[in-house]
Amino acid sequence: MKRLGPYHTLAAGVVLALGLAVLSVQTTPRTDDAAASSGIPDARATTKVAPEPTSTALTGDATATGEATEAAAPTPKRADYAGVAQGNGGLVALSIKNGKAIAYFCDGRIESWLKGTAEDNTVTLTGKGSLITAALGDGKAKGTLQVGKAKWRFTAPLVKKPSGLYRATAIVRGAKAVGGWIILPNGQQVGLVDIGDSPYQAPKLTPGSPVDVEGTRLSPEDTDAFIDEL
Amino acid sequence: MTVPQIPRNDAARKQSSAPYLVPLLVGGLVAVALGVYGREHTPTGYAVGPAGFSGAQAMKSWLATGAFVLAIVQVISALAMYGKIPGLQAPPWTGTLHRWSGRLAFVLSVPVAFHCLYALGAQFDVPRVLVHSLLGTFFYGVFVAKMLSLPKRDLPGWTLPVLGGLAFTALTGLWLTSSFWFFTTFGITF
Repeated sequence: MKRLGPYHTLAAGVVLALGLAVLSVQTTPRTDDAAASSGIPDARATTKVAPEPTSTALTGDATATGEATEAAAPTPKRADYAGVAQGNGGLVALSIKNGKAIAYFCDGRIESWLKGTAEDNTVTLTGKGSLITAALGDGKAKGTLQVGKAKWRFTAPLVKKPSGLYRATAIVRGAKAVGGWIILPNGQQVGLVDIGDSPYQAPKLTPGSPVDVEGTRLSPEDTDAFIDEL
Repeated sequence: MTVPQIPRNDAARKQSSAPYLVPLLVGGLVAVALGVYGREHTPTGYAVGPAGFSGAQAMKSWLATGAFVLAIVQVISALAMYGKIPGLQAPPWTGTLHRWSGRLAFVLSVPVAFHCLYALGAQFDVPRVLVHSLLGTFFYGVFVAKMLSLPKRDLPGWTLPVLGGLAFTALTGLWLTSSFWFFTTFGITF
């Protein structure tokens, strides 16, 4: 009995971890349902259709092969990108979930929230007077960003938490407040809080802890928490 | 290839000359497997864990602190069992205390490690996180090696103290790079 003890200990640990895994998988927000309810019914169909060009590529010409390479790496179901807007120094964050794409640009003075779609490894997003088009591949999103009349190129590599995009919403003195933050893997971050359409300087964000803006406590959440609502 | 020609007796003798090889090998595989999983699996940012805390970080910090306190009990009870505490005759229940404090510490650590690996993944961006990721995989490797070594009777006397010491050292490092960091950065919050 004593000799089996250590095996029982290990087994208990494995069982506990498996139990947590099953619960986590079961209670994770159902991504497919989320895509359907967020008004992008095509998202699933697109991912299913995408691999088909592979068969034509076997006999096809160079162009078809190029398409097949893209099809071989389908549009990510869930991905977060963040990087710098070249020539501006502001940061761009882009997140994708089941064909839906959201993005945030901020340089500390100007900001823009954008949303759009991701299919065939291309994202197109629009916001108030802003536009982002980017190609996905090789672990990064590469494209252009247009805010008002200004236009910048950007390259945003895949990022993992705690890097990436954060958003907080609250009511501050009766006005709607929306805060946005982007954190890069090197620690660089930028943020802005918009209260009733006026920009306020955003306090430095430490992921996981709340921030105080104009006497109101905001709880910035990561992309998973709001990508379906935006 | 001369391996198949080795007589069975030789092979058996070889195995018995290094009985700690299998536990170490399995422990190493566990550490590598956890690391590869943490690196390759896309972090979900979400995992189920014990309720009652303000957030996942607080939950993990407190469970890890519990495990760390129990790990100190581990070191003291182990020292007592080996007669290394001058003037202390280990009471007969020391072994039981050592076994159960260890089990409890391990069980406390599992939800923490699960959240780390499943929701966050192994990350190498920041020194603290890099050290924590590597120590985390190392800790479970050493722990498995120690558990598999315990039932073996033909081990050199230093095996368990060395493995236990490594596990404690790793856990201390893990606690410093997580709970201690959390409590000093965000304050002692539940």
